[in-house]
Amino acid sequence: MAKTRSKGGATSTAPASSNPTNPSKSRYTLQPESSDPPRVFILPKKATPKARIVSLLNPRYAKPTRYLVCPESGIYEFTRIAAPKSTPHSWLIESSSGNLEGQKSVNGAEPDFVAYTTKGAELYIATPVDPLFLVLPALAQTTSKSEKRLFLSGYDHLESVSKELSPHLSEILHWGNVRTLFEARMAAICDTIEAGDESMFRLNEENLLKEVLSKAKRMSETPLPPSMEEKFVTKALEAPVLSVKRAGTAATAVVTEPAAAEPVSSTPMPESGESQASAASTETTNSLTPEPSTAATSVAGETIAPSEELAAAIQASPEVTKLQRLRTAFSFICSSYIAPPQTAQLKKLLSEKKDLVDFAPLDDYLAEVSKLRQEAVAARSTGDYSRKRVLDEEEMMARAEKKRKVEEEDKRKKAGQSRGVKNLKKVNTTGMKKMSDFFKKKL
Amino acid sequence: MSQPILTVSGDPANPNKSQLHLLPCRIHHDGHVDPVDPYWSPSESKGGMKIAYLRGRKLHGKEMKLPKGYYGSVVEKGPTKAEIPKEEMDEEADVQELPEAVETALMKGKAQFDNVVVWGHESLAESSADPFVRGIEEWVSFAEQIHSYPSQDVGPTKGRTGAC
Repeated sequence: MAKTRSKGGATSTAPASSNPTNPSKSRYTLQPESSDPPRVFILPKKATPKARIVSLLNPRYAKPTRYLVCPESGIYEFTRIAAPKSTPHSWLIESSSGNLEGQKSVNGAEPDFVAYTTKGAELYIATPVDPLFLVLPALAQTTSKSEKRLFLSGYDHLESVSKELSPHLSEILHWGNVRTLFEARMAAICDTIEAGDESMFRLNEENLLKEVLSKAKRMSETPLPPSMEEKFVTKALEAPVLSVKRAGTAATAVVTEPAAAEPVSSTPMPESGESQASAASTETTNSLTPEPSTAATSVAGETIAPSEELAAAIQASPEVTKLQRLRTAFSFICSSYIAPPQTAQLKKLLSEKKDLVDFAPLDDYLAEVSKLRQEAVAARSTGDYSRKRVLDEEEMMARAEKKRKVEEEDKRKKAGQSRGVKNLKKVNTTGMKKMSDFFKKKL
Repeated sequence: MSQPILTVSGDPANPNKSQLHLLPCRIHHDGHVDPVDPYWSPSESKGGMKIAYLRGRKLHGKEMKLPKGYYGSVVEKGPTKAEIPKEEMDEEADVQELPEAVETALMKGKAQFDNVVVWGHESLAESSADPFVRGIEEWVSFAEQIHSYPSQDVGPTKGRTGAC
């Protein structure tokens, strides 16, 4: 900071500066770094002041992880968001009042937090976590250990987790209604029997599956978060658009032969006819006149119809989209909160239990999409020689890379030559003997 | 037990409000940088866009509100101390041994915030690319959706917060 020219800084911020009459105060001394930098958290308002951050066993990664446990409102997990190395970030924490002077005069005694920077920009977000997942390792452990699959009390289940793995578990069980919360969630995935005044639990995989599935179903009702939806739903269900476009342009290219492009479709969307026509005309401005007559547009609209039909035929139905969302959500839950062996078990169970959810429409659809993709690739490789090859991005990149390499090599070679050699290259050698002449057998 | 139990302090009702800026660069300094205003004076342009200059670079800012029901807190970790938990549940406890000393530490809330300004160098941060924007905008509601469970009759309701 002190490196900055004092003059520039002072003039640019003259109105903000507290005492512009003191020009000698140009350099600021930087206060020493604090050893324990502050961290930025986003916390739920629901958590009471009694909430504590503890280490509990992470159900997926089988090691202690930080959780925020509130005796009243439940348990929250922390998600750490850190900037990747490629895009560095820092926090600048600034008192919001905007006018420093006021802030200082109000609580002049503690100019505690005026401006602060941190080296790494990390953000911890506490979001609720279903205690179900936290009790899962305990249940799974006790279930697998005893082949007879005994019913155990909730406490015994939870006690079975070693202290190393879940250091504060026994501690939090004494807080508020954490234990009742745990047991209530346990009941959702276990067979229970009443023994005296206590309930005994035994893990039931089927119940667990139903529970996870109902979560996934709830998530699939609405679109997933945009980035996830895009990557796992839209992309996965996307039919090869490239071939569709190609078909469209091909159809318009043979616009003079209506027989070839006879609209065979029985259900062309009439209300979108105009938009289709306009789309077609924009797509094919090179083949059509800039101002197409009404007849031309209608022809273009008709000829484009089959390709549109093709797109419609492989459009994912809402049902398929929903199933894909469901599958994505299900595997997301499994991969984030359930240990790998149990995940495998659940997936197996899911494929067996057709009555819970049937993925058949989705699978059929995906098979069709992959078939279409293959066809598109095949069609491109065979039917493309009449026109200039359209390189896709990857090929372009490869080509550019190759070119660059060759150039580089050339450059390196040239750099290795001495000046003498370079100059000699320019010499007119016509009529001179070649070097090899001297080594020929003497006749 | 390597890690202590942490207490989060900080009174949501009486916050020391602050403004958080996420800068598109790394500043190799952890600590106070007062006075900051000669170097940092964000302003708002006519289009409602925030503009600031950091060492001659023009930055564009996008304000991001925190999700409903959440608040931001800047905390500093205090010293760790061992403490024997108070016996509150002695009659129902069947623990014979003495309660172990539990390490606790205080996370002192130093400031609170309810929005973050994400700065980009001559461009606005994209929500699809920036992990921070995505985390705040998408993850919270999504996580609530995953983890909502029927509230129990015992204890306060937690309910389906996931409806977004």
